[in-house]
Amino acid sequence: MATKNHTHRDYDSKSSKYDDYINFSTSMSRDELLKKKHITFLKRVLQVLPSQQLDTHRVSVAYFAISGLDVLDAMKEIDDQRNNLIHWIYSLQVQPDPSGKNLSQCGFRGCSMLGHLYDSHKAKGQLIPYDSSNIAMTYTSLVSLLILGDDLSQVHKKSVIAGIRSLQQSDGSFVSVLEGSESDMRFVYCACCVCYILDDWTGMDVEKTVAYITQSLSYEGAFGQKPFNEAHGGSTFCAVASLVLLDRLNSALTENQLSRLKRWLLRRQESGFTGRPNKPADTCYSFWVGATLQMLGVLVLSDVTLNRSFVLSTQSPVTGGFSKYPDHVPDPLHSYLGLCGLSLIGEPGLSPIFPALNLSQRAYDHLSNLQRQWREKH
Amino acid sequence: MSECNVDDAASNEAWVPFKDRPEWRDLKPIPQDDGPDPVVQIAYSEQFREVYDYFRAIIAADEKSERALSLTKEAAELNPANYSVWNYRRNILQELNKDLKEELKYISQVIEDNPKNYQVWHHRRVIVEWLEDVTDELKFTEKILKEDAKNYHAWQHRQWCIQQFSLWDQELDYVDRLLKEDLRNNSAWNQRHFIIKNTTGYTDEIIKKELKYSQDFIRKAPNNESAWNYMKGVLQERKLFDFPGVLEFCHELYSKQIRSPFLIACMIDCYEEMLELGKPKKEETLQKATQLCNELAEEHDTLRREYWQYIARSLASKYGADVSGDS
Ligand SMILES: [Zn+2]
Repeated sequence: MATKNHTHRDYDSKSSKYDDYINFSTSMSRDELLKKKHITFLKRVLQVLPSQQLDTHRVSVAYFAISGLDVLDAMKEIDDQRNNLIHWIYSLQVQPDPSGKNLSQCGFRGCSMLGHLYDSHKAKGQLIPYDSSNIAMTYTSLVSLLILGDDLSQVHKKSVIAGIRSLQQSDGSFVSVLEGSESDMRFVYCACCVCYILDDWTGMDVEKTVAYITQSLSYEGAFGQKPFNEAHGGSTFCAVASLVLLDRLNSALTENQLSRLKRWLLRRQESGFTGRPNKPADTCYSFWVGATLQMLGVLVLSDVTLNRSFVLSTQSPVTGGFSKYPDHVPDPLHSYLGLCGLSLIGEPGLSPIFPALNLSQRAYDHLSNLQRQWREKH
Repeated sequence: MSECNVDDAASNEAWVPFKDRPEWRDLKPIPQDDGPDPVVQIAYSEQFREVYDYFRAIIAADEKSERALSLTKEAAELNPANYSVWNYRRNILQELNKDLKEELKYISQVIEDNPKNYQVWHHRRVIVEWLEDVTDELKFTEKILKEDAKNYHAWQHRQWCIQQFSLWDQELDYVDRLLKEDLRNNSAWNQRHFIIKNTTGYTDEIIKKELKYSQDFIRKAPNNESAWNYMKGVLQERKLFDFPGVLEFCHELYSKQIRSPFLIACMIDCYEEMLELGKPKKEETLQKATQLCNELAEEHDTLRREYWQYIARSLASKYGADVSGDS
């Protein structure tokens, strides 16, 4: 694995810092976005997945493909599958029992692995032990539905919110499933997204959430997954996006903390972005770090040309899709985040995105309209 | 998300189909229902499909038995990221009152094969919690970190064990060893901060010691961001000037022609702090800071040119005599 072999010649000899860049800049054909190839790649993902290890997270992989096609401005390519996709996602919703006793399990699952039936009416009567939602799948289901143009009218909103609430821990963090899991910033972020989308913050103790986030600010000036964990580009995105969704960014962090955070983030740029100091650049951080910089209003201070070249160098000219490093096997996650990273820096032909929820601006506008309608009804 | 695409095991030659397993005859497998027109299908192998058909049947019956336990092992091998399988396995372990030491041995092997998988580390943590025994944990995480010194999961587990079972005593020695092996190991620097913050705390005396510690490493490799971040982190609740020597240290390196962007940035921060505190010679200080910003922008950190120009502008607008001159 390239991470391990990444040697650090003392980069007092400054040029080694840019070796990655020099290597890929020589490979032709990679200086432009292979849009058609990526459409093909993501459409294939929607058909069939490469790895059985993705089984329990299928809906999140579908989200990478659906949202990726949206960012590629290619939703018409899956027009004929739209209803089927919407139906499938709804089939993953845990149906609330009329007695209300499974409320804490409500939300969306990642797949039908535990044996619930596709037909939600029939599934309602099933009582499968341990059949609960997963917070990351609830988040990716909701955004996928929004991207597909659904109005969320079949979402059992109150139950989903109850499900989210049941996952918050005493320290403010969230686990992903009721049966227990690790708890960290990723799931804090998912919880914030769900509450934001459904416009209902009763799904969490907001003060506890904010406290957990600020306690996870490391001495380096960026966020770890938990208090005292190492600062990391991914958890920093989750923390900052959560604060943005909570509308607490500027009250939770001091001016001094914000400026240290900006510097840490900008220092992640080598050619593309890294997730931690002294690690190699990886395509996904052009989104995680890039989006965070965008939310803080300082993405313009980064070097767009180097960033773009790095991301494009991780495209696969054969199959389409992006990988984490140049000349590696492409996967759905890096393909999606690579596209988002490029969209953030204004790549022509890509749709603009709304970074805090990680979907297109178009889908975000659709959500805002829905929320206006919901509020008018009440 | 798992980065590993190694699916089941052509290596697993001994796999016996369920029709050839008499002990399973009484159970009716339950197929997965993906609807009439499935999307994002997994290309399940025959083995995977069968194992999970039986897993569904076991779950539906809530059966906690020896055969169910061994089935979870098969299911987990096919997909170690399946948290439901691990959760159910734990339920069986409890119900059957199994030897958890054995389970720890088993999960060690699984983690060694899947060191970046969330679910297997979580399983380990629960088992350790149940056992209330951390005898092997430091050694085990050390082994994993030998393969990848920055494995986030291993560090998280290690931190949890240390906190939960108060294993603070030897940890600084370990960190010290790691930093001597690789002074750019940012995870080890972070661990150093974690240990000190939770034991002695950063008292005046400790700060002095840690400043020296990090500065010795910085002298060896002035371009190492990790050591600089640590040094600045040590002082985060103080002013850089509460501990005279930081700016002097920077000047010493600078006079040796070292032009690390981290060095120059630290000098800028010192000057900014002087301006903030309203120290004398304001104009001169601002000028020095601005000049260093320009050096970074034009020569030593050109990748972040826009940033350093922005810092220079904001210093000028905050502390400059003539604010209106800045456009
Ligand atoms: Zn990545």
